[in-house]
Amino acid sequence: MPGSSRKFVLGIAGILLAGGLIGWVYGHAAWGLLVAALVILVWQTRQLLSFNRAVYTRDFEQFRYGEGIWQQMFSRFNYEHERALRSKREYRRLLKEIRRSTDAMPDGAVILDEENQIVMCNKAAKQLGGLKRKKDRGQRVDNILRDPKLTKLLRTDAFAQEIEIPSPVKDEGWLNCRVVPYGANQKLLFLRDITEQIRLTKMRRDFVANASHELRSPLTVISGYLDSLSEDPDLERNWAQPVRQMQEQAQRMNTVVSELLELSRLESAGPASKDEVVDVSGLLAAAKKSYAGQKDVADIEVQSESSAQLLAAGNEIESLITNLLSNAVRHTPADGHISLTWRVDPEGGEIIVTDTGEGIPADQIPRLTERFFRVHRGRTREDGGVGLGLAIVKHVLNRHDAELSVTSDLGRGSEFCCRFPAERVVLEPPVPIVSGGKRG
Amino acid sequence: MEASNFTDHISRRFNKDIEDLRNTVLSMGGLVETQLSRAIAAIVSGDSELGLKVANDDYKVNNLEVDIDEECSRILATRAPAAGDLRLIVAIIKTITDLERIGDEAEKIGFLASKLAGMDRPADSYRELKNLGSHVSHMLRDAMNAFARLDVAEALEVVKEDELVDDEYDAITRQCITFMMEDPRSIKRVMNVTWAARSLERIGDHAKNICEYVIYMVEGRDVRHTDISEDLVDE
Repeated sequence: MPGSSRKFVLGIAGILLAGGLIGWVYGHAAWGLLVAALVILVWQTRQLLSFNRAVYTRDFEQFRYGEGIWQQMFSRFNYEHERALRSKREYRRLLKEIRRSTDAMPDGAVILDEENQIVMCNKAAKQLGGLKRKKDRGQRVDNILRDPKLTKLLRTDAFAQEIEIPSPVKDEGWLNCRVVPYGANQKLLFLRDITEQIRLTKMRRDFVANASHELRSPLTVISGYLDSLSEDPDLERNWAQPVRQMQEQAQRMNTVVSELLELSRLESAGPASKDEVVDVSGLLAAAKKSYAGQKDVADIEVQSESSAQLLAAGNEIESLITNLLSNAVRHTPADGHISLTWRVDPEGGEIIVTDTGEGIPADQIPRLTERFFRVHRGRTREDGGVGLGLAIVKHVLNRHDAELSVTSDLGRGSEFCCRFPAERVVLEPPVPIVSGGKRG
Repeated sequence: MEASNFTDHISRRFNKDIEDLRNTVLSMGGLVETQLSRAIAAIVSGDSELGLKVANDDYKVNNLEVDIDEECSRILATRAPAAGDLRLIVAIIKTITDLERIGDEAEKIGFLASKLAGMDRPADSYRELKNLGSHVSHMLRDAMNAFARLDVAEALEVVKEDELVDDEYDAITRQCITFMMEDPRSIKRVMNVTWAARSLERIGDHAKNICEYVIYMVEGRDVRHTDISEDLVDE
């Protein structure tokens, strides 16, 4: 029993004893006890009432009558109360701080629960996605941002994926959406404004397309006159060489322009349709044939391991093969070996071009598909390449949901492998999947 | 943490059915919105491929309409909903009809876009259609937002917007008539533009209808064919 409690009990006992004694002296011990009990009752009631008032008004200065155990109880209560108040204030400040920092984020962030209902969102999400903080709480996010792509993304849980949806608040605006899982079954949806990015990409594409288009007509005139000049019998002898060179360069420029145009067409087109059936083995054989009889060309071998066909745009696959093969021919010495392979397994089909040429340094491989990128900077440009071939290959593959992987051994040769997904490959009835896979 | 007051039933299955139904309607709305914005983009940029894609994708909207209709009948038959739930189901049955019609109009616009892409293009590349189109897609978006949030105020805004769309449509018609009188050779092309504008104007009307169903669903009163603007704002 704490000291204050003992004091309290002793005090009450003392008053009772005193009352009883005084009563006993006057001959009425019971009356004395009663009066003492009444005094105790009044005293305690007063304390209780003022304590109650102090708690009720929260004004603890007013609690003056605190004595003994009441004083103790009061100070304990007051202490706890202030501590709770302080920590509440602290939490509120912390929450505000977090709020403020999430509001300062330039990207929109929306916290979703497992049903994709909105738990919380920051200011940027409000502005970018047109969400309303209070009103939309508990609403499913795809009920407000109603894009079929977003609905699908939220449903599939494909968290690595990023999608682009038109902005719901800004005309011609675009948002990039990403979903990140977090906590117990919660998700974070990030929204980023990419309008400017999309506009710039489009501007660049349009610029390249327009510039190439504009270059084409003057080029036609120049090469037309050069053609007739070169065939002119009256042309002075010392002009023959310059005219021939000019012709070559004009031809080269023509190739650059038409490849750029082809590239910008590929870039802006969506995925290729699956209506056309392409005979890859036939294309490979035709590509080989186009080099037949040429001097200084390495030995080319076609290994068609499958008669399966590809659902793709035929002319694009043709240009893909031509580009890869011409690269291989250019970088392989005449005593080297080039092989063209078409093989199919249950997961898809592969067109592989291998050469025994000079190879590519490993650090250059990721940059191969950039426009006008050259592995050997100082290399003369007279080998016929313009530096767009692999960029075209990349875009053709993009359009066919396919991937390009390059492996190379410096000095030994390189391998370019184009992998097409299974849904683009049709196996002809007599060739079962297993045999194609085994042979491959 | 449920958004609507439609989901406080004793039966949790019923809650879920109704929530799912609402979500499906909204995703159908999202699909229709995408179709519409693509159709408008196809006309403005003269992209015949995109136009045809829109026209070919209309079946998705139709399928959703059939599915939702079936689900509505199922709920009506098995749950016999009353009051607010009944209004919700009735409003949904009507809303999806309008959404499906909007889908049809978008299909038409997509088809017209592929036709117009093959013809001469005016210097302003159909700016007036673009303006009308963005106006109408805003209306549709706000209508679906009002449906999602059960927001009568937003619904009323859309209803008021419809007049502006009608005015804009009139202006385009007059402009088209002038073009046709000036140069009869352009009649074929301009007729297609008129059709596209007409479709957009109809989409505006359907969006307005959807908002009227939202008001019916929330307030329980039928405001069709009445002058609602003053009526409800006063309150």
